[in-house]
Amino acid sequence: MAMALLIKIRGMDFPLDRKYYIENGAHIWLKPEGDIIKIGLDAFAAEMAGSINFLNVNKGRVNRSKAFGSFESSKFVNKLYSPVSGKIIEVNDKVLINPRTINDNPYNSWIVSIKIENKDYESKYIIEDKDEILKWINKEIKKTKVD
Amino acid sequence: MKLFNLGDLNWKQTQLIYHALAYENIESLVLSSPSDTYMSVGLHQNPQDELDLNFCVDNNIGIFRREIGGGTVLLDKHQLFYNLILHRKNLIVPYAPEAFFRKFLQPVIQTYRELGISVEYRPLCDLVVRDKKISGNGGGEIGDCKVLGGSILLDFNYELMAKAINLADDLKKKFLELMNNNLTTVKKELEIVPLKDDICSILVKKFEELLGPMTKGKIESKITNKMMELDKQYSSDKWLFQRGTKQIWREIKIREGEIMIYKLFNFQNSYGRVICEIKKNLVKEVIFSNRFPLSHSNQREIKSRLIGIEFNSDKLLYDIVEMIKSYGDGIVD
Repeated sequence: MAMALLIKIRGMDFPLDRKYYIENGAHIWLKPEGDIIKIGLDAFAAEMAGSINFLNVNKGRVNRSKAFGSFESSKFVNKLYSPVSGKIIEVNDKVLINPRTINDNPYNSWIVSIKIENKDYESKYIIEDKDEILKWINKEIKKTKVD
Repeated sequence: MKLFNLGDLNWKQTQLIYHALAYENIESLVLSSPSDTYMSVGLHQNPQDELDLNFCVDNNIGIFRREIGGGTVLLDKHQLFYNLILHRKNLIVPYAPEAFFRKFLQPVIQTYRELGISVEYRPLCDLVVRDKKISGNGGGEIGDCKVLGGSILLDFNYELMAKAINLADDLKKKFLELMNNNLTTVKKELEIVPLKDDICSILVKKFEELLGPMTKGKIESKITNKMMELDKQYSSDKWLFQRGTKQIWREIKIREGEIMIYKLFNFQNSYGRVICEIKKNLVKEVIFSNRFPLSHSNQREIKSRLIGIEFNSDKLLYDIVEMIKSYGDGIVD
C-alpha cells in the first residue's frame, strides 16, 4: 500500500490523503468515500489531550458543527464536533473500548462512519490544501504557547 | 465576568447552577457549598458501576452525574466548591487540559497558601501538600463553555466515601487505607477550619487578580428556568444510568499518578477479582481476592512477575490471563 504524503510538524503527522475540520478547535479528520465519510481525531487533538481514557458517541443523526460525542482525558471532557450533517451508520467499537489507540495512531483510529445528507458539504472550515493545513496547524501551535 | 457567591445550597443546586450558567453562556465564577451529602460521578461513569446504590438510598445520599470529567466523589458541607465558566472561544482559555488546569487553578493554590497551607500544582489537575492531595478537580465543555469544577476540602469523611463506593469489602479496606495515606484536608493541615466566608473572600480576590474585576451576578429567571429544565434531564434514569464505554479494567484514582484498578475474572464454577495498585505508571501491588481459584504459590508467582513492570492495561490483562491459563485453570474471561 502506498504511503500517503504527509506534513510533519513538531512530531505530529497530518496526512494529505484526507480533509481536516477546523471549526472552533474541533481537530477532526475526515475521509470521504462516496456519500460515506469516516472521521477521527487528528494528531494535534491526540497530543494535546494526553492519554484518552473514555470515548462516548451518540448514535443516530448528527448535525454539522454540533457535538456527537465526547472524550475524556486528564479529567477533562471534550466534545466531538461533526463536520457534516447526516446519520452515524457505524461506530468503531475497538476504539470505543480502548480509546488510547487514538493517542497511539490517530489516523488508523476512525471513530464513526457518517452517511452524509448532502454531498455538497464543503465549507471554509474543512480544509485539505497543504499550505492551508500548515498555516492552520502553526496557528494552533502558536495558541498553545500563550497558555 | 459575573460572580455568584451563593453560600450554602441544596445539594442538587450546587451542580445545576454551573451547568445552567454554561448553557446560558454566562462567563462567571460560582462559589457554593452543599448543605447535604451526595455522590457525584463524572460524565463517563455509570453510578450503577461506581456506587453502592442501596447504601446511598438507605442513607439519603443523593447521586448526580455531572457533565464534566473526573471520578466519583463524595461531596458535603465540609467542602467549598468553585466553578469557573468561560466561553470556549475566549482567547484566554487554553486548548490543552493540562494548560487549562494549570492556569485556572493558580487562584486556588494561592488561596490555600494564604490560609497557610503550602499547596502545589501537580499535573494534570491535582493540588497537593506534602505529596498528599487536598483538592479534587475536573473540567469539560458544557454547551459552548469550558468549565472548571473543584472543591476546597475543609474536612473529609473517608469512611463514608469508602462505604458509598461499589467495592467488595476487601477492596473497601484497601481503598480506605489508600485514601487515608494520600488525601489530606484543611482541618488536618491547620487543625482548625477557617470560616467559609473568609475563604470565599480570598478566592474572589485571587480569581480577580487573574481574570479582572467581577460584578455580582443575579440569578435571573432564564437561569432558574434552565436549572429546572436540566434538573428534569439529570434526574432521569436515562441520564443517570446511561451506559458508557465498557472499560477493560475498572479504575479508581487515588491521586495523580496513583490508581487502583481491578477486574472480575470468571472461571467455570467460580470467580475471583484481581486488584492492582499502579504508581507512577508501574505495577506496585497485585492482590487476589479471598477465595480466588488459584493456589497461593501460583498467586505469589504471578505477583512476582508483575510487580515493577510498566503499566499497560491491555498487556497487563493479557499477561494475567495467559499466566492463569498456564496453570491449567479454566478461566472463562
